[in-house]
Amino acid sequence: MNITLKINGVDHGLDIAPSSTLLAALRGLGFHGVKFGDEGGLSGSDTILLDGKPVNAGSILAAQAEGHNIATIEALGEHPEQGWKLSGGLHPLQKAFIETGAVQCGYCTPAQILAAKSLLEKNPNPSEAEVREAISGVLCRCTGYLKPVQAVLKAAAEMRGDTRLDWDTINWDFGTPKDDSSQSDTPTPTLTGVLVRPRVVVTPDKQKWQTVGKPEIKVDAIKLAQGKPAFAADFEKRGLLHAKVLLSPHAHAIIKKIDTSKAKALQGVAAVLTWQDIPRVVYSTAGQSDPIPGPLDTFSLDYKVRFVGDRVAFVAAETSEIAEKALSLIEVEYDVLPAILDSRESMSSKIQIHDEPEFVNFADSNPKKNLAAEIRIDIGDVEKGFAEADNIFEAEYEVPKVQQAHIEPHVVVTYWDEDDRLVIRTSTQVPFHVRRMMAPVLGLPVKRIRVIKPRIGGGFGGKQEVLIEDVAAHLTIATKQPVIYEYTREEEFIAARSRHPMRVKMKTGVKKDGTITANAMYALSDTGANGAHALTVTGNTGHKAMALYVGDGEYRKAPNIRFYADIVYTNTPPSGAYRGYGVPQGYWPLDRHMEKIARAMGFDPIDFRLKNAIHAGEYHPFSTAWNEGREPRPEIIHTVGLEQCVAQGRAAIDWDDKYGNEEWRRLAAPNKRKGIGIALAMQGTAIPYLDMGGASIKMNDDGSFNLLIGATDLGTGSDTVLAQMAAEVLGVPLEDMICYSSDTDFTPFDKGAYASSTTYISGTAATKAAQIVAERIKIRAAMMLNMDKHDDIILKDRKATAPDGRSVSMTEIALDSLHKNNQEQIMGVASYVSPVSPPPFAAQFAEVTVDVETGQVTVDRLVMAVDSGVIVNPLTASGQIEGGMTQALGYAVCEEMRYDEKGRALERDFDRYHLFRADEMPELETIFVETFEPSHPFGVKAVAEIPMDGVAPAVGNAVLDAVGANVDDNPVTPEKVWRALRK
Amino acid sequence: MITIYHRPRTLDEALTLLAQPNTFPLGGGTLLSQPTADPVEVVDLQSLGLDSLTKKGYDLEIGATCTLQTLLESEHCPAALKVAIKLEAPINIRNSATVAGALVSSDGRSPFATALLALDAKITMVSDKSSVISVGEFLPLPRRGLITSVAIPLNTKFSFEFVSKTPADKPLVAAALAQWNSGRTRLSLGGYGQSPLLAMDGPEAEGLDSAARNAYHEAQDDWASAEYRMDVAATLAKRCLV
Repeated sequence: MNITLKINGVDHGLDIAPSSTLLAALRGLGFHGVKFGDEGGLSGSDTILLDGKPVNAGSILAAQAEGHNIATIEALGEHPEQGWKLSGGLHPLQKAFIETGAVQCGYCTPAQILAAKSLLEKNPNPSEAEVREAISGVLCRCTGYLKPVQAVLKAAAEMRGDTRLDWDTINWDFGTPKDDSSQSDTPTPTLTGVLVRPRVVVTPDKQKWQTVGKPEIKVDAIKLAQGKPAFAADFEKRGLLHAKVLLSPHAHAIIKKIDTSKAKALQGVAAVLTWQDIPRVVYSTAGQSDPIPGPLDTFSLDYKVRFVGDRVAFVAAETSEIAEKALSLIEVEYDVLPAILDSRESMSSKIQIHDEPEFVNFADSNPKKNLAAEIRIDIGDVEKGFAEADNIFEAEYEVPKVQQAHIEPHVVVTYWDEDDRLVIRTSTQVPFHVRRMMAPVLGLPVKRIRVIKPRIGGGFGGKQEVLIEDVAAHLTIATKQPVIYEYTREEEFIAARSRHPMRVKMKTGVKKDGTITANAMYALSDTGANGAHALTVTGNTGHKAMALYVGDGEYRKAPNIRFYADIVYTNTPPSGAYRGYGVPQGYWPLDRHMEKIARAMGFDPIDFRLKNAIHAGEYHPFSTAWNEGREPRPEIIHTVGLEQCVAQGRAAIDWDDKYGNEEWRRLAAPNKRKGIGIALAMQGTAIPYLDMGGASIKMNDDGSFNLLIGATDLGTGSDTVLAQMAAEVLGVPLEDMICYSSDTDFTPFDKGAYASSTTYISGTAATKAAQIVAERIKIRAAMMLNMDKHDDIILKDRKATAPDGRSVSMTEIALDSLHKNNQEQIMGVASYVSPVSPPPFAAQFAEVTVDVETGQVTVDRLVMAVDSGVIVNPLTASGQIEGGMTQALGYAVCEEMRYDEKGRALERDFDRYHLFRADEMPELETIFVETFEPSHPFGVKAVAEIPMDGVAPAVGNAVLDAVGANVDDNPVTPEKVWRALRK
Repeated sequence: MITIYHRPRTLDEALTLLAQPNTFPLGGGTLLSQPTADPVEVVDLQSLGLDSLTKKGYDLEIGATCTLQTLLESEHCPAALKVAIKLEAPINIRNSATVAGALVSSDGRSPFATALLALDAKITMVSDKSSVISVGEFLPLPRRGLITSVAIPLNTKFSFEFVSKTPADKPLVAAALAQWNSGRTRLSLGGYGQSPLLAMDGPEAEGLDSAARNAYHEAQDDWASAEYRMDVAATLAKRCLV
């Protein structure tokens, strides 16, 4: 049908199918600022303004919009510098989102900005609650909404003409920590209401730095705020085919017969592939370094399906509708097999999920026992420790399977380039692993594959999986045409990876004085139908969580710790990497257990934890025993800011006034009680002796620099912080660093974005590359200044300055080196692998209100004080903490993935799997307590994963504090609390 | 899959189109815009002028294509009904979804349908003739025909209570209570099943909690047990009275 759509004031005539959504029509016209997030409209990433109101373009027909005014992000503003052409610049909302750090992955940013625009046109002076309500139709999995709300309020003020807040004049440093107590460093509370920037208790080392430590705007923020076509699905290619995958309706079955003739005969279908059509290559989908530390148990397509949602056939067609129709025409005859759906039955079951002869074991995997991995770690003499204890505490806990739920689904575009090399443009956290791992699967050498990672709309570990690249690639090989494959939201729930659910047993020995004498954890971890990340995720459950409480006194010197785990197959969708990588699963049982012990023995819960927590200068206990399936190497922890974190956090949340205060508990309604809880956490920073990142820097004619890094910015801001570190070394502002990342043809290798490693590992590589460049610049400057030595030259303010005050500018040096004398390309290449993994530490606090009659839990406030070493960029780092706490909040109270008796997922969309929205968030507060980690040139440690660890146990502990109810399996749902109250 | 899109200008034209097989009225489109296996035709109601909101005596007459957000922002909308509407869907969907569409597509988890059931809302439908039926009759067995308006009483004391995993998640249990000056008391329960349940419609509030408990004695699903729902429904029913 022919319709005319008025988009941003311009009429567009188009011929569309009656079923075409407005989203499809707009993207077809090149309005890429409107994004797909889900079919039900609950993500809101497809927000446009229809006659000024925010609606979901994917939830209305294009034909419905005829006769209405459609506004997209493309109409709002443009880059302020357009060469000779005058530019109106960015819209105040776009500017505010950029300046406040509200843009993380940027996938939902256009939607949030449009929703805010609609509000401000009606209400130029909104309250915070009104702003939250206005953007509540747009889910954001990155930010925790705090910065977007602040951005809207800031833009509103600017648009009203209120006096503009000068952000640069705000003192966002709150002093240096003192040796004795940090109480005196408590920030002024009144600042936090308006302050976008987090509290930072600074380390003295960074006071002299110009760029590192400063809240620079993200290097990709301007394009993302404009909705530029920066994501994988925004890439357009002539003749693009659309892929769909037929998924198994059975949890366990053999494909006896599969007939694709009707599907192939459908007009518009380019290819249909089954297991009979492609090479049978066993591999692992885990995006990890070589060799993969886990079993090889996956095929692109197999004659056996192992979970509801497993692959049966691939289709490529001219449109996704035709591809969908073709799926319905594929006739499959299954021999349905009995299935294992309960991990407790896996090891003793007669059912063998992996009986394929190609299965490749890793370490102690044993497919005959449905065992993907086994871990047995004993540190010290655990039994002796138990024998020496005055009290033994044992309890069982359970943690659920949960989804990463990045708003941009998995999406990949593949095509042959003009050199007959296969290009894979994919939303991945691990582009270099994709290239290496896909090569044998596709029958191509590595050198004939190029992987490009564009901007990513969130990953959170879900894209540390080489999950769908093979589908599009096989179809491109079959058809010679470009292919796009984009998951539906349902596919994300039933076919993608998720966090391992675990059943955990704790046993802890404690002396009367509160000294832990031995601590043991056993985890039964459910890896689902494939063993990707099975060993390493569950290994980290023990490695990170069980390392925190080593005991005190003699036990501190020789802790007794046991971590055993069995990681078993079941006929459920495979588990995998999810931000935190096994560690949140460890902290729920560990810290709930610590709370119970403290209360049972009458100790102050904070004192008990700190008494037994690890100290600086001590060995990481697990470093002597385990290293992700590789040789362990002992490692001393040099910086532990845990006590400072506790002090800052307890002051911020008024712990001392609230804990144990019955009057405060009853401040809520008569049927409600308030409660407060704490959990401590430590994570890791990269995998020592394994994770490697590379960087190269070259100088341009104008004194700017190209920074090429393999590191993968998945919305975290890593491009920005790496560029900040390089800029600091080179003495130039961040704007002089042109950052390009994650392209296997053009950037150095990097293992990818996982294990909280990028700022530390890749940042060191960028720093070292910058040091090489800086050295050459100084040598050139010395020549130009007729100096014998260059060592004392300082690079600062775009100049190389000699001790006598003479200087040459970067531009002069660049022109001299490229065009005038002894010409050379000034450039540096460096890489880095770390011998250590310095842990960040955190104190997580939660305040809740519990309805004693219904069990409903409302989380009122979350405060997290974090020691992540030096904070390179407080805006991006605090965004990580806020977003992480919000994801962890879902883990605490509402998120879980379950299956029925036939293995079918109960949660398949954002209706049943609820994500927190802007208008229901608790108050979030982030405090950085800086230490200077000596193993990094700028003293940094990781920040990305630690916010996932403490929220759930802190909430569980707060519920216990409020009403005395112990819930041992998260999420803490109303019925679980209700039942606990009745025990 | 939608094969033909119609946008009639008159009610008669719409009714003629809707008389054809496999042809459905399109309100906001939030559900019908999604792919379907069978070919269907849709009749977009947006040009029929059915989006008015009118206070008539003690009733608020809501046009079928009035959006949930428009109703929410109306000064006549009871405060407790606003709570239910907010829980029904996020703001973007509320800007598209219509009152009639929300009812037609509702299930037992729908806070909006639960609220309208307690309010004993009246639905005006037209097909070959015009008829008025109660929401209580309509919800369990939606019938063919075109809804043109929904009327809710404004002369009731109306309250809505719920329990959910998060403040904005769909309720596990919801209770809506409407009380007329005459003493008439209607209690409906939501959060479970194919449609909300009418737990009580009596001359007084006596026995409200027992009615709630009884109504949900089999309300067991994968998200909550019947035991829990019974107990909480009774609690919420009592809270509605306060």
